[in-house]
Amino acid sequence: MSWNFETENYIVRLPISDQDGDALYQLLSQQAVVDHIPRMAMTVDAQALDELRRVAMRFEGREAAFWLIEDKNSGKLQARIGIQYINWMMLNAQLQLELSPEFPLDGLKEVLTEIKNYLFNELHLHRLETRIRTGISGLPEKLLALGFEKEGTLPSQFEYEGEDVSLDVYSIISE
Amino acid sequence: MKFTPELDIPGGRIKPLHYDDIDGLFELYQNPEIPGQRPLEDKEQLNRMVDYSVQMAATQRGMMWAIETDGKIKGMVSAFDWQPSHLRVVMRVDGLSDLTLQERADALKAAMDFLASKYHIRNFAYQWIEGQADNIRTMLTKAGFSLAARLRGAWRTGNQSFADVEQYHWVSAEAKPVPRRLGDDDNLGQNLDAGQGDKS
Repeated sequence: MSWNFETENYIVRLPISDQDGDALYQLLSQQAVVDHIPRMAMTVDAQALDELRRVAMRFEGREAAFWLIEDKNSGKLQARIGIQYINWMMLNAQLQLELSPEFPLDGLKEVLTEIKNYLFNELHLHRLETRIRTGISGLPEKLLALGFEKEGTLPSQFEYEGEDVSLDVYSIISE
Repeated sequence: MKFTPELDIPGGRIKPLHYDDIDGLFELYQNPEIPGQRPLEDKEQLNRMVDYSVQMAATQRGMMWAIETDGKIKGMVSAFDWQPSHLRVVMRVDGLSDLTLQERADALKAAMDFLASKYHIRNFAYQWIEGQADNIRTMLTKAGFSLAARLRGAWRTGNQSFADVEQYHWVSAEAKPVPRRLGDDDNLGQNLDAGQGDKS
């Protein structure tokens, strides 16, 4: 069973630890890409290598899987889409989206459809949820357009830059 | 060492799990109230659970109390998914049919009060699972919890069946604790026996 696949316009693949550091750093060093999590953007390229090693280990434990989304034409990294906290008993997982500002909604739809099919049909997960910082703009509209439903807001989940952060929960259920 | 205190509630107490209470706990685990949870068959497993309850409390992963009223173990109140650095935890009460709603509320409050005062927990969650008694939701609301989200199909009840989970939260309105100068505390850890002559 391969975890790597292609759509019409994109390559969706698990990262290669010793090759993808630069591209991942370029993506995750943009604060706008990780504001909704929320998380600080990377500031040195060694962080990307650490992150690649970390996700490789998490994948080995089947606790998480993070795909890099590359544009077939330009070869440019458009996004990283991951699932984590996979609960194999309850058949659910948390989705994390880190999207380049240039990645169009149509592209996200195209890729996410393939990822969803894989998660629901091959891995037999039932529920996919994503949690994003309350009050963030842009992403909620995209999630709704992708078929996610907003389920509520979990208050005061952690502190970030001196503020209590609440997280909105969006989910999609297998049919 | 002791991490889980015994606390009084009207008509009884909540107390740390103990090997002497295994018969009562076994009855509880044979009558699970969570949808999809199977009755426990092997009583021996509860010995390990008593061990785990101590380890969980010692490492700040969770805390478990037996609810005893009228001299009988009628339920358990538990804290799990404890995030010490985020000052939050998830609570749960399991009870036999003779555990009243008031006893359930009293046990929950006693446990929360302890966790709030000892560990500065500020955010308590409680997950009500579709199929559980409706009046638990009423109890939560009366206790000051608010419904935060209804998580669709988040609880698996069978091979291909799922129940919704309603997640309630109680968040303290009090100001956050201000850290003191670290290292000056005379309590070496969270051992409740420390400083009382018993440091075993």
